[in-house]
Amino acid sequence: MTLTLDILLSGLVLGGMYALIAMGLTLQYGIARIMNLSYGEFLVAAAFGALFLFTGMAVNPILGLLLIVPASFAANWLLYRVVLTPLVKRAKNQGMLEVDSILGTFGVLFVIQGIMQVVFGGALQSYSYLSVPVRILGTTLAANRILALVFALVIGGLLYLLLTRTRYGTALRAIAVNPVAAQLSGIDIAAASGLAFAAGGAIVGAGGVLISMFLTFSAASGVIFTMKALIVVIMGGVGNMMGALVAGLLLGIAETAVARLVDPGLTIAVTYALFLGALLWRPTGLFGRPAR
Amino acid sequence: MIEISAISAFYGKHCALDGVSLTVQRGELVVILGANGAGKTTLLKAIGGLVPVAPGGRIAMAGKDLTAVPAHDIVAAGVALVPEGRGIFGEMTVRENLLLGAFPARARPAETRNLELVLSLFPRLNERLRQTVRTMSGGEQQMVAIGRALMTAPDILLLDEPSLGLSPIMCKELFQSLGRIRDAGLGILLVEQNAKQSLKIADRGYLIESGRIVGAGTGAALSADPAVQRAYLGAG
Repeated sequence: MTLTLDILLSGLVLGGMYALIAMGLTLQYGIARIMNLSYGEFLVAAAFGALFLFTGMAVNPILGLLLIVPASFAANWLLYRVVLTPLVKRAKNQGMLEVDSILGTFGVLFVIQGIMQVVFGGALQSYSYLSVPVRILGTTLAANRILALVFALVIGGLLYLLLTRTRYGTALRAIAVNPVAAQLSGIDIAAASGLAFAAGGAIVGAGGVLISMFLTFSAASGVIFTMKALIVVIMGGVGNMMGALVAGLLLGIAETAVARLVDPGLTIAVTYALFLGALLWRPTGLFGRPAR
Repeated sequence: MIEISAISAFYGKHCALDGVSLTVQRGELVVILGANGAGKTTLLKAIGGLVPVAPGGRIAMAGKDLTAVPAHDIVAAGVALVPEGRGIFGEMTVRENLLLGAFPARARPAETRNLELVLSLFPRLNERLRQTVRTMSGGEQQMVAIGRALMTAPDILLLDEPSLGLSPIMCKELFQSLGRIRDAGLGILLVEQNAKQSLKIADRGYLIESGRIVGAGTGAALSADPAVQRAYLGAG
């Protein structure tokens, strides 16, 4: 019983992080139509930012969000404007843009990773913030994990409300559904895509700060997070926020269960098994429309 | 109201539209008749900003130049296109589709009034506001498409084959609705396969062949023209 609860709670924390970063990726991939392979690098950069603020300037990571999230928004907006807009402009169709953006952001991945290697070195990093045990329902969980989960839920919830309850958010979702009809409704999809891409960057920045509170990371960790976010996005359905939430939580709980019950080395295998199952069983995502 | 002068459009080297000129006034329903591949869809897409116009042509709305303007700014100038295949948001609800139509700044002040207009034109949508559009019938989806375009508060409405895939009854209702939209003061440029019904309600018409305008006249004159009857009305 305690073990089940333990797995569920730890899995929820991890899954909450996956869901949050998947929501950011689905903004970039679903709306801006950019498959950003350097996505995880922004997460790690934000984690280093939080580490630097905490150990170097005694700023706690929650306050650090106020600085790092806007910085990540700005950096991603610049990336879209400077590097990706030329690719968008010359792409004749969606397939061409996909290939070009994968190759382009693959390059960006190594640039950011290289800079982080030079500045912070290649070692695993972590810091200790609020790592005091808290008893919940007969099991214990570190306070930093609970705080991370709460913030992930708040940020994810706010994003969900913005996208579903406001006119501009509805317009952003409309671009993911039908870009041509979006233009015909007077939506400037070039400007909106840049904004969606930057917003995705802000989300992954927040994810990086929250994850750094309880996980160790290194300059080379980015690719793992990109892969997991991508898997969650595809499992949940591209552009589907609710799908990202459910798929993210599912993945977090499944990984934790296998790590505790079988072997921690198998978590990656479980991730891909779930992914494969989703692709075979529901290729358009858990909540996706049936294939046309 | 909208003046199109000598516009041409190319797909690679293929000339799909060759120096087409036409006008549509407010409160006027103008139909374009032509065979498949004559350039009707390209013409509407060029006006709507989805296909680039070759140099030399000009599109102007109430004197304001709209040539080479991005599609979203053409909507902002009061020209709304309902493309072939409807141009709707299938994964979203009827209400969301209609609200998205009111996205341009020009549409905001009249949003409530336009929503009432759309729901009075298509009462069936009233009880379906929460339904996902993808799950609706072809005729209902066409109502959403036209409704979405009307929500942008256009002066000119461009419609590409709105009767495609509709049952005869739905088709008849649709043409009645178009007549009422025209009577509300909008200019309509309609591309149709259904020549008989569209000529019946049209004020004027143009014939298009291989990307060129080859004839023009009032709806009644075109209906009476033996050549038109042979080519489009299945007579003689």
